Order: sequence, then structure tokens, then C-alpha cells
Amino acid sequence: MEKRKRAVRYGCSFVILGVLLFILFIWNVNAGSVPLSVGEILNIIFRHQGEDVAINIVWEIRLPRILAVVILGGALSVSGFLLQTFFNNPIAGPFVLGISSGAKLVVALLMIYFLSMSVTMGSGAMILAAFTGSMISMGFVLAVSKKVQNMSMLVISGVMIGYICSAITDFVVTFADDSNIVNLHNWSLGSFSGMSWSNVQVMAMVVGISMIAAFLMSKPISAYQLGEVYAQNMGVNIRLFRVGLILLSSILSACVTAFAGPISFVGIAVPHITKSLLKTAKPILVIPACFLGGAVFCLFCDLIARTVFAPTELSISSVTAVFGAPVVIYIMIKRQKRI
Amino acid sequence: MNKYIKWLLLMAVLIMGLSTGVYGAEKEDSHREIKGLTYDHSMELSYAEEFSVDYYEGGYALITIDQSGEFLVVPEGRKAPEGLDGDITVLQQPVSNIYLVATSAMDLFRAIDGIDSIRLSGTKENGWYIQEAKDAMESGKMIYAGKYNAPDYELILNEGCGLAIESTMIYHNPEVKEKLEQFGIPVLVERSSYESHPLGRTEWMKLYGVLLGREDQAEKVFEEQSSKLEKVLSAENTGKTVAFFYINSTGAVNVRKSGDYVSEMIRLAGGKYVPEDTGSNDNALSTMNMQMEEFYAKAKDADYIIYNSTIDGELTTIDELLSKSELLADFKAVKNGNVWCTGKNLFQETTGLGTMIEDIHTILTEDDASLEELTYMHRLK
Amino acid sequence: MKPYFFYTDQLTVGYDGKPLIREINIELNRGEILTLIGPNGAGKSTILKSITHQLKAISGTVYLEKELMDKMSSKEMAKKVSVVLTERMHPELMTCEDVVSTGRYPYTGTLGILSEEDREKVKKAMETVHAWELRERDFSAISDGQRQRILLARAICQEPEIIILDEPTSFLDIRHKLELLTILKSMVLQQGLTVIMSLHELDLAQKISDRVICVHGEYIEKYGTPEEIFTPDYIRELYGITRGSYNADFGCVEMEPAKGAPQVFVIGGNGSGIPVYRSLQRQGIPFAAGVLHRNDVDYQVADALAAEVIGEKPFSCISEENYQKALLVMSKCDRVICPLKDFGPMNERNRTLYEMAEKMGKL
Repeated sequence: MEKRKRAVRYGCSFVILGVLLFILFIWNVNAGSVPLSVGEILNIIFRHQGEDVAINIVWEIRLPRILAVVILGGALSVSGFLLQTFFNNPIAGPFVLGISSGAKLVVALLMIYFLSMSVTMGSGAMILAAFTGSMISMGFVLAVSKKVQNMSMLVISGVMIGYICSAITDFVVTFADDSNIVNLHNWSLGSFSGMSWSNVQVMAMVVGISMIAAFLMSKPISAYQLGEVYAQNMGVNIRLFRVGLILLSSILSACVTAFAGPISFVGIAVPHITKSLLKTAKPILVIPACFLGGAVFCLFCDLIARTVFAPTELSISSVTAVFGAPVVIYIMIKRQKRI
Repeated sequence: MNKYIKWLLLMAVLIMGLSTGVYGAEKEDSHREIKGLTYDHSMELSYAEEFSVDYYEGGYALITIDQSGEFLVVPEGRKAPEGLDGDITVLQQPVSNIYLVATSAMDLFRAIDGIDSIRLSGTKENGWYIQEAKDAMESGKMIYAGKYNAPDYELILNEGCGLAIESTMIYHNPEVKEKLEQFGIPVLVERSSYESHPLGRTEWMKLYGVLLGREDQAEKVFEEQSSKLEKVLSAENTGKTVAFFYINSTGAVNVRKSGDYVSEMIRLAGGKYVPEDTGSNDNALSTMNMQMEEFYAKAKDADYIIYNSTIDGELTTIDELLSKSELLADFKAVKNGNVWCTGKNLFQETTGLGTMIEDIHTILTEDDASLEELTYMHRLK
Repeated sequence: MKPYFFYTDQLTVGYDGKPLIREINIELNRGEILTLIGPNGAGKSTILKSITHQLKAISGTVYLEKELMDKMSSKEMAKKVSVVLTERMHPELMTCEDVVSTGRYPYTGTLGILSEEDREKVKKAMETVHAWELRERDFSAISDGQRQRILLARAICQEPEIIILDEPTSFLDIRHKLELLTILKSMVLQQGLTVIMSLHELDLAQKISDRVICVHGEYIEKYGTPEEIFTPDYIRELYGITRGSYNADFGCVEMEPAKGAPQVFVIGGNGSGIPVYRSLQRQGIPFAAGVLHRNDVDYQVADALAAEVIGEKPFSCISEENYQKALLVMSKCDRVICPLKDFGPMNERNRTLYEMAEKMGKL
């Protein structure tokens, strides 16, 4: 029976993802510039015994970073999935609505303002600034969405907002007193470096709640997959749905941008990989699978980024692009062949 | 729209509230009173204004860096006094396994034979122009620990780092500073680049001298440089004008702001920096970009040109210079063959600032066309 | 006045506030099929979209079972009205069963998981449209005809009171057209489903509808039963037919007759003449037909296609007068074709015609 085969496929996919997650998690905990034996690590984690330095390395450097990668990787891919479904566009990604540019703008403005007053910004303030900037961008996109019938207009408005924010940022940076602030471009590259437990707590909460909300939206999303008209006929409140989807995907991407900066390709590639694995697009399955898939993908990429050329850290976006782009191309070609 | 405005205001308030680490520009005390310690005397500083050192009985020293914080150097074998103010960071001697990110400090460490205390570097081997640093990295005595915004924490921890010396760029990545401090590694943000007098920068070697307990050596080396300067200062002002700049990839001219330490060096060497009146004075660090047109108008008649090669690479011939911009051919200095170029090591060799001023003075005063090589500059052919 | 199940009151529809059709008053009972006909671009889809709330009506109201449709929540609407539209959709990686299952959404819980009962209904709906065997196929990989049936199944398992269909048969071949309409009709009869749809196929509209609306110009031109609407003259006027004609009794169209004086005389009757008429018409050869009784099946076609027809009163023997008329016309023609094989008392004179033709050597 075909149905049985499909159920088996779903089950296997989740098991595979789970196993991969587990393996990569272990691998990541064991990898780093400072060699620590498996035994040492086990002792540190389960019995809290070991050298101070080693304990710090495992508990304060490796574990928070790995957890952040899992949470943010998952957030990115779910955000990408939501946007791809909504815009019915296979290359839509979490930053298509201009979110990261808005974040960068607010961070730049605040940094310049504070530094000119000889006040230093703490990391908490920077995170909040980035989040606020993202939300402001999202606010503009929402406002546009109310006036517009065709959803492709939203992508255009997102791109435009991205350009406007970048332009304003460059303008402001030109007149900044601190010439080093030009280094703000480093901010555009994204990195998982320097995560702390307090970061992890906050992101776990934000992403966790958003994930649950997204999961609960599975039904209207799958109605929407048939098209807006049919979805409306089936009882979906299209306006609320739009707002909800934009809001959720923006919060997820804003969270990533705030803590790690914009990380490209995960949001675009992982949903495709997940759908190919599951052979279905049903949100009730794809959303959790995307989360796992994104976590796995980012764990793998971060491992490479931080260990291959240690102590130099590769830019995580380059690694995700190197692994993500070929996958996307391959999937696109396969799909074209079928049609 | 109202909903959004309210939201924005709320965000703004939250941000204000969460700005951690507010350091206002405090008025400096004449000296700091510390409970449990008796004040002895303060360090004499000739040119430096961004830091001060107060000495206390028993060998304690308090380093105060404007806007960066206070550091109490505690001698080996002794402990910090009880009830010490939480704002003061304790640096227990011997300070070892330093993680050095601020490149300008390396030369100062070299001058006081302190490179051995540096274990971790924020710059790779091929990024250093100071031979001793290069040697140390090659031999493995100093290792690369990642860029300032993404350091290898594991390595730093594992090496038992005792102090991180960062430049003000770290303020763009506050989470790095916070993480290092979380591990108990004190972070000293050096501000030598904010010194308005060039020798003020060099005088920072005295601060590092305090850290390493090599104040005498620091004094000696500093004396050498400052006497060189005195010699130059005693000479008359030549009245000649010097332009110091480079042309970036977009074709704009990057000039020093008036009051910046390079323009100061030129002034001290007996010359006058052009273009004049560029930029505001509240931040002595910066350079600024100027359009070629404006630069042409202001600097065309400069007597000398010193091209800043530290960003784009050293030039050897005038043709190479002209390939950056044809207009330069019209400049008086180019026509007279008075174009010099800095070595790439200019900004890293903070100790040699006195020598640099001497070099500039030489350029301005020696009319010998055959003179081509100076310590820090060479003439373009 | 018997209360109607579905009716509109001065409904005005259009785009961007510009009225296209004004003051529409529809009255429909439960278990009736209402068809909208009219030329392209007249506004049939606009009306349908306004009823389903895809488009905002400009003014006027729509009532379903005495309730204002505007006041209904979207969930209520979903349980009462379902649609089959012309929009092309490309759902990714959805099987046919998945697509049909979405019709159960107004009845499932928060996560949209189908219960056993829901699955049964999906199965039944798919079986009704004879598409159960397609259930595992990918929706984008089936033919247009199959797709329409799946969409109909989806609309059915939504268990609505009214189904609204916008040109549901446009992409279907004849077999599937008939199938779809048969299914609709049976649902109407068995379950009391009410149907509102637009059709281009006039013959089908005539045969299946209980009521017909003609959308033409700014107002509803005509509204009534098929018998009232489908007269050849009205259809010609409604659609502005300039070439060819429309046969109201049989609901079929005929092409234009060939022009000119008849060159061929066809002796036909009892259905034998029709293929000959058509063949001649295709070749562009004007012909005359006779003698045909007016209740003979050939008469309908000959009337539309022939240059001249000699008709006879039904159930009467061919009169001498008509015979002479036919003879006259026949002699003017170059050729005679006689496909008629059945001669009886009524058309005895046709046999005579045939013998005359033989004598004239025109056969």
C-alpha cells in the first residue's frame, strides 16, 4: 500500500535527521583548537569533573555555541520554508524581506550615536538594536502588504527596503567620527562565534515559541499551498494569515540576525533538501523536519568553519554557500526534468 | 501607523535601559585614593594624555586609561587590597601570556624587550613588520589566536592568557570583550591612537613598562626618541608644506584630519601639513576622504609629498604614483621630484616616531637630490 | 412567497469600484442548477467571484438560507460554499488524495489531521468522480480532465450546500464533460446540492440547468428556465452570432450554408440525408433538400444548411404540389443524390422523384 510506504519514508527521514543531529552534536563537542579526549569530555559533561580550563572550554565555549547553531540553524530553515510557501518562490530566503539591512542600519546608528557620546554599547544592547532594526523593516513590509494584492510586490518592497537601509547606513557611516566603524561590513557576514548561555536562553525562548506558532499554522499553510483563492474558500482568513506568516518568519530571521548576523543559504537550501527527503510538502511534517535539517546543516558547516583553518575562522556564510548552492542547483535541475 | 510608532519608542527605551557599561568622559582626579593603599607619587608624562599612572606604597600602581577603565598592577607575591572598588581590574604580576590585538603596541613591547610576555597575537605572522615579532611567530613562541572579532577562545583559555590588549575596534564587538572577561581574562583597551602628540603614542611604552616591571627600560628608550625630537624642535620652522595622503580604490584621496598625529609630526618636524582645515578636531584619530578635485585645489602647490603606503602597498617610482591619478603630474612636488613614500611598517613602529619626525625634518631641510633612503621613507624615482 | 434558498438582492459587481453588472436578482431553490451564460468578458466570472467573496461586491446583498452571506464567518462559509475555479494551481509534492483531503479542512481540528470519518468521506468523494485510482499520483502529473475531477471531488467532500463552478468543463473532452455534469446532476438529485456555474457549452447548459442567467451588458438580460431562454433568435442575439446558427431544440450549432443556387438535389429522410448535407456543406456546395416532412430528423439540419428545402406537413403524405416544387428544383440542379432507402406510403412521391432523377440521368 502506497500509504504505508509513505509513512515508512517519513519515519525513516526523521530518524535519519535525528541520528545525524546526534552524531554532529557529538562531533562538534569533541572538535576544537584544544584537543580534549572523549573521556575528558564525558567527565566534564556528566560528572562536572576536570581541569578548570577544560571545563570552561566545554561548558562556556563549545556547548553554548553548538546549541546556538542548532537553534539558529533550525530557525533559518523554517523561516525560509514559510517564505517560500508564501511567495510560491523556490529561491525566497529569510532575508528576502530586507530584514538584515534594517538590522544593520539600527546597529550602525546606535553604535555611532553612543560612541560619539563616549558610551560603550554592551552586547545585549547590540542584540536588541539588531532585533529592533529587523522588526522595523518587517513593519514596513507589513504596511505595504496591506495595500497590495499581488504578493510578489512584497519581495520587491523587501529588496527596495534593503537597498534604502544600506544606502542610509553607508551615508551615516561616511560621517561617523570613528573611522573604524567602516568595519561594520564585518557584520554582514554572520558568525556563530562568542555565544554565551544567556544568549542561548533568550534565543531558545524566542525560537521555541515561534516554532510552536509555525507548527500550529500547519493547517492554513497547507490550505494556502493550493492557492490563495482556494485557501480562502476553505475558511482561511487570508489577511490574518499573511500578517502571521510575515511576522513569524521575520521574528525567526530577526533572531538569527541579532545573535549571529545574516547567514545566507541555509534558509533557501534546507527546505528543498527536506522536501526532497520527505517527498511531501505537508507543513505538519516539513516544519519539524526543516528545523532538524537546518540544525544538522549548520552544525556541519560551523564545524568546518571553525576547525579546518583554526585559529582562523572561515566566514560561515561562505561555507553554507559552498555546500548549499550545489544542492539547490541539483534539486532545481531534477525538478525541471520531471516537469 | 500609530501602533508602529509606539513600538519604536518602546524599543528605543529598552535599548537605552540595556546599554551596559556606560563610561562617561570623567573628569580626572589628581590622584586616586584607594582603600588600604597609601599614595606615593604619579608618573611623569611628557606628552601622553590618555593615560596616567599613580604609584602606591608597596609597589602597587594604578593605571587609569581615559574611558577605558582602571587597572591596579599588583606586585608578585602580594595581594590586592580588601574591599577594592569593583570598577578596578586587578592585574597580578607577573603578567604573562598576553593576547595582543592592538598592533601599535607590539613595537612598544619590543622596545622594552617584552615580546616574550606575549603569547597570542591577533595578527598573522605575515601581517607583522617587526622582525622580532615575526621571529617569535615563526619559532612558535607566539601563536595566532584569530581575528579580533572572532578569537579562538579555546586557544586563549588553554594558553592561560593573563591579559588581552585590544584596540578600540573591540567596541564594535562587545560580546568578545564580555566573553574574555567572563573567563577572567582582563581586557585593556588601549587608546594610544587618540593621542594628539605623536610622542604621546610612544610614551605608552611606559604603561607597558609598568605592566611588565620594566619602567626603567621604558624611560631610557623614550628618552632617546624624545631627545631626537628636541633636536628637531630646536631647528627653525622651514615653512615648507607637506601633503600626506593615499588614493583609495574608488579614486578618492584619503587625507589626515588637521590635528591628527601625522599632521602633528609634520608640524614638529618644521613643516606645515596640507590640506589645511580638514575635518573636526574632536577625534584626533581619523582620516577622511576627499574628492580629487578639492585635494588638487588645496595641495597642488605642496612642496613635498609623502605617500602613505601602509594600506595599498609601497610605491617605488613616480610613474606608479601617476597611475593612481593623472592629475598628480601637475603637483609642484611631483614636478620637482620631491615625492617620498612611507614604508609599510610606518604605523606599526610606534617606538620610532621620534625617528620618523627626524626623517621628515631631513626631507624638509636636506636639499640633496641624491638622498633616497631614510629610516622610514624612501624617495620615489 | 416561498422563501428561496439562495437569492441576491440588487447585487452589483465589478472591479475597483467600477460596476460591471448591476442589480442582479437571482432566486434559486435548493437542489437547483443555475447556469450563467454569456459572451466572453461579459462578467460571468465576476459574478461568481463576488458570490464566493473572492471579490468584494460593490453593493447589494447575497442571502443563503435567509442569512446574509456577508455576515457569515469564513468558517461557516467554508462549510456551506465550495468552489471549483479556473485558477491554475501548482501545489508542490501533493498527491491527488492530499488535494481532495484539503476539502475537509472546515471540519478538522487545529492541525488539520483527518479522522477516519474524514478519510471515508474523501474516499467516497473520489469514487463519485471515478478518481479513486488516481489517489497516489502527484497532482501536477495528471491530465487536465483528471485534475478537474479531483477539484470537483475536493469541492464535494467539503460537504457544501452550494457548489460554485467557473467553466468547469472548458478543458475536458466530451466524455469527461458528460461525466462531470452527470455527477453534478446526480448529486443534485440525491443530496439536494445546489449548483451555480458558468458554462460556454450552450447545449450542455440547456440540458442540465434548471435556471439560466444571461449575462450581457450592464444588467442581467434574461433570467428564466432553459425553455424560455434557448430560442435560436435569442441565442443569436445574446452571442451576436453572425455566422452559422443555433438549433435550440437540439442545442447544437450549425455552420453557415454554402452560398449560391443549389447544384445538388438530395432526396433524403429518416436521418439518411444528414451525412450528405454535412458533406456537401463542408465542400461548399450549395444544395437543395426535399421532400422532407417537418418532423423528420433530416429537416432540422437541412433547414440550417440547405439553400432550399421543400417541406411537408408532418404525418401527411407528400402532396402533389410539393412534389412538383421538388421536381422543379431538381431539374435545375446538376446532380441528384438519393441516400434515402426507406420508402413508405407517406413519402411515396420521393420514390417517384428518385425514378425521375434516374430518367434525367442526374444520379
